[in-house]
Amino acid sequence: MSAETITRPSLETLTELFRSATVHASKAMADWTQGHVALSLEELQERPLEQLSASIDMGNDLMTMVVLGVQGEMDGQLILAFDEEDGRKLAAGLLQRDVNDDPEWSPLEKSALMETGNILASAYLNALTQLTGYKLLPSAPYFLQDYGASVLEQALMTQAMVTDHILVCSTRFLFNHQNVNWSVFFVPSQELLHVLGREPTAVSPA
Amino acid sequence: MKTLTPPEKTQVHNVGMAQIAVVPEADIARSVLGSCIGLVLNHSARNLSAFAHIVLPRGEGRDGPPGKFADTAIPHMLELLRRERAGRSGLVAKMAGGASMFGGSGPIQIGRANDEAVCEILDKYNISIVGRHVGGQKGRRVTFDGGTGELQIEVAGEQTVAL
Repeated sequence: MSAETITRPSLETLTELFRSATVHASKAMADWTQGHVALSLEELQERPLEQLSASIDMGNDLMTMVVLGVQGEMDGQLILAFDEEDGRKLAAGLLQRDVNDDPEWSPLEKSALMETGNILASAYLNALTQLTGYKLLPSAPYFLQDYGASVLEQALMTQAMVTDHILVCSTRFLFNHQNVNWSVFFVPSQELLHVLGREPTAVSPA
Repeated sequence: MKTLTPPEKTQVHNVGMAQIAVVPEADIARSVLGSCIGLVLNHSARNLSAFAHIVLPRGEGRDGPPGKFADTAIPHMLELLRRERAGRSGLVAKMAGGASMFGGSGPIQIGRANDEAVCEILDKYNISIVGRHVGGQKGRRVTFDGGTGELQIEVAGEQTVAL
């Protein structure tokens, strides 16, 4: 499908949509973490691919990530990324244990982070479902440790294959009211962006 | 009297998506790759190389800098090298990247398509590929040394590879 065949809603419309979805996701995260974590929309940016890769600095180091896709034909990726230290802190907080200094992540730590990704993505997509009337469900989360820029690059391909301007939603986190180096990037496909701009229709909650 | 000239400072080129860098002998180029291809064209006799971070196989009239697509990046790299008197004769290629990182979801074929397009276009220009580290499901951090012509590839949890 070419970019020309799709009419994309305005950036202002999408910003309001993603801001509302982020509020829902923040409430879900606060429930999951007993009020320790909050998030807010940092930026919805649409730029040529080459400019976007320069503006989103994921660094050159390994990161800990949970990646989820959007199920079905719509496609899109949600990436929850932490540096090693912050990822460990979140896992320890959720498990109510001391921070693990073993280089290998335990299955329980991985599970805690994947569940975090699942809750975040479900809340986010549920909100978008309510706001747009188009039923969106997350795929199963998976945990990976890789270069953040590599993972983001792959996620951007969802749009880059069909359009020259890429839209990415990035989110800011607060942990105990302090800014932390956690990031969420949501990269919807062109098809998903299209349906997000439609008038709402009735749908059962996902 | 003999005059000593200080060695030129090494410049590190962080080559982002769709960018191309000309890499003289003293310089280093770095990139982090997923499904994209990091392509080096090295002219050892002229001590000059070009490094491209190629995103997609073919431009087909789409907008973007030449480095974005394999079919525009390679001719542009050749032109940049030619301007510095490094002709096509004597050039060799090294390449890395082309991963499919999201398993069952996402555009899993793009890494392979990038790899195939780059190989096909290099073949058209009769440029030999002397080192290739592509595919898999993990990202790569690559460092190219313009002095030695070595392309170093780091993959999470694996031993560093030098091409």
